[in-house]
Amino acid sequence: MDQAEKKRYEERYQAEKQRGEKFFPDIIYKDLVVSFALFLVLILLATFVGVSSEPPADPSDTSYIPRPEWYFLFLFELLKYFPGQLEWVGTTVVPVIAILALLLLPFYDRGPLRHWRKRPIAISVMSLAVAGIVALTIMASITTPPQEEFSVVASVTDEIVIGQDLYGLHCVECHGSEGEGGEIVSVEGLEGVVVDPLNAPDFMYTRTDDTIFNVIDYGQQDLGMQPFGKAYGGELQRSDIGAIVTFMRYTWDDRVEIPQEAAAAGAVPTLGPDDIPSYSLHVEPIIRRTCVSCHRPNRENNEYLMQTYDEVMNSGINAPNVIPGDLNSNVIRMILREEIEAGGPMPPTRALKAEWVEIWIRWVEGGAPEFPLESTDTPEPTPAP
Amino acid sequence: MAAKWISWLDERLGLTTIYRTILDRKVPKVNWFFTLGSATLFLGVLQGLTGIFLTVYYVPHPEQAYDSINYIMTEVSFGWLIRGIHHWGASLLVITVFLHMLRTFFYGAYKYPREITWVTGVFLLLLTLGMGFTGYLLPWNQRAFWATTVATSITETVPFIGPFINTALRGGTELSTLTLVRFFSAHIWILPALVVAIVGIHLYLVVRIGISHVPAKDE
Repeated sequence: MDQAEKKRYEERYQAEKQRGEKFFPDIIYKDLVVSFALFLVLILLATFVGVSSEPPADPSDTSYIPRPEWYFLFLFELLKYFPGQLEWVGTTVVPVIAILALLLLPFYDRGPLRHWRKRPIAISVMSLAVAGIVALTIMASITTPPQEEFSVVASVTDEIVIGQDLYGLHCVECHGSEGEGGEIVSVEGLEGVVVDPLNAPDFMYTRTDDTIFNVIDYGQQDLGMQPFGKAYGGELQRSDIGAIVTFMRYTWDDRVEIPQEAAAAGAVPTLGPDDIPSYSLHVEPIIRRTCVSCHRPNRENNEYLMQTYDEVMNSGINAPNVIPGDLNSNVIRMILREEIEAGGPMPPTRALKAEWVEIWIRWVEGGAPEFPLESTDTPEPTPAP
Repeated sequence: MAAKWISWLDERLGLTTIYRTILDRKVPKVNWFFTLGSATLFLGVLQGLTGIFLTVYYVPHPEQAYDSINYIMTEVSFGWLIRGIHHWGASLLVITVFLHMLRTFFYGAYKYPREITWVTGVFLLLLTLGMGFTGYLLPWNQRAFWATTVATSITETVPFIGPFINTALRGGTELSTLTLVRFFSAHIWILPALVVAIVGIHLYLVVRIGISHVPAKDE
């Protein structure tokens, strides 16, 4: 703009001002209307939509899908177009150019024209940029699955099943496979401690999920329970602990009904009258829920580990504990609660359910196969107790 | 009596002058798009006020941040409302800032004599995004943690100074207490101080030069 154009603008502006209105009250009035409307919108959003609650930060949970605030989505989406070696173009060159272009706009666009029809280049560049930002934002929000749905879908059924396995591994040695508690027999340092049952209303009714979560996470060190949460030196991630809590709630709180699929998925299949049970279908699920808690490395178990078929057949100082076809196998005698050289009744605190004892017996009798023999029809699973 | 007090104050504070220069002045007749600036100012002030309330209870430490926000949401009277307004206000503010910029652009209002107003406005837009970025980490939940992990790791790809930016933001190689306190101090002190200073210049220029008018077809 040269001096003449500046002068022309000033005159024009003065004229507009004279024909205009008062800042107070005319402009202020409009401003207040809009601000008040926005305030109302915010109160409604805060009241009826609220702030979605998220689990606390868990640096070890790398499965979490990162999702930036919505107004940064377009930047993340933009990066997808600059893969590998070109990434720095997307992270540096494009943003720097965009920011400089905005910042310096009045210094390179110095023409006197102001109406949008007379500035086709400027208007189209900016419109394209805005359309691009909107499009990238939409694309990003379509392609990134929302986290909430993820955790909801992964919840209940899956969580119960995952929680059941985790419970079998970490909790059974003290709390029993049915949460029945009782006297602890072979956990180093806790022998003779009597544990209250978890599977009773006294326990489940009086503790919220959060409380149970915290007990598992932090332990109850005065009572001998170690912390299980990673944050306190245990092995479990927060999602693991959540799964255990869900499993406990759905299994032992009689006010909550376990979903059909979850019960079916966690069940040990029943046997037909002539079926020969297999390790993979029948015995392994039982072991997973009743034995591995002690029969794994670093536990008192006469070095008898039960985490794989091989270990079940061959490990331990009294090996073999399972002799195919021989009902005098150590495992069978101990399950039938005999006191023998190799050790006392198993599981130590409580007999296995009769159906499960039967599965063990028929499995050993039938040659202790690892996989189902020629069974064609899959047995109907029954709900877990 | 009241009149006497007012004239006493006016003599010393210059209230009439303020009234005449700021409120009682003629401006061009404009449309509703011109309320976007004041709406942005209003939302900014609201963010400041609700933010101040939140700092009363918020603890910028990885072990307490999450619980302190839980406390605000469940125990503090109307804490949920304050946090809700602050949370949604941030999104709304980004929208109004952006629309305010678009309005200025499409009416050509960044041209003579308002170039500096525009430049300060661009800085305010960037600062707003910076406030959003730093504020996002403060709840220290999964979303916050992982979004910030990714965002800060992206800075590593900046040529030459990338690794330095990343370490400076995180205060180390990983997200930690240091990252949280850095983001916190940026969010409640450094960036707001800059915002207040630049908003001061921005508003001074708006009052001094006056709001632009809607350009006619021949302009």
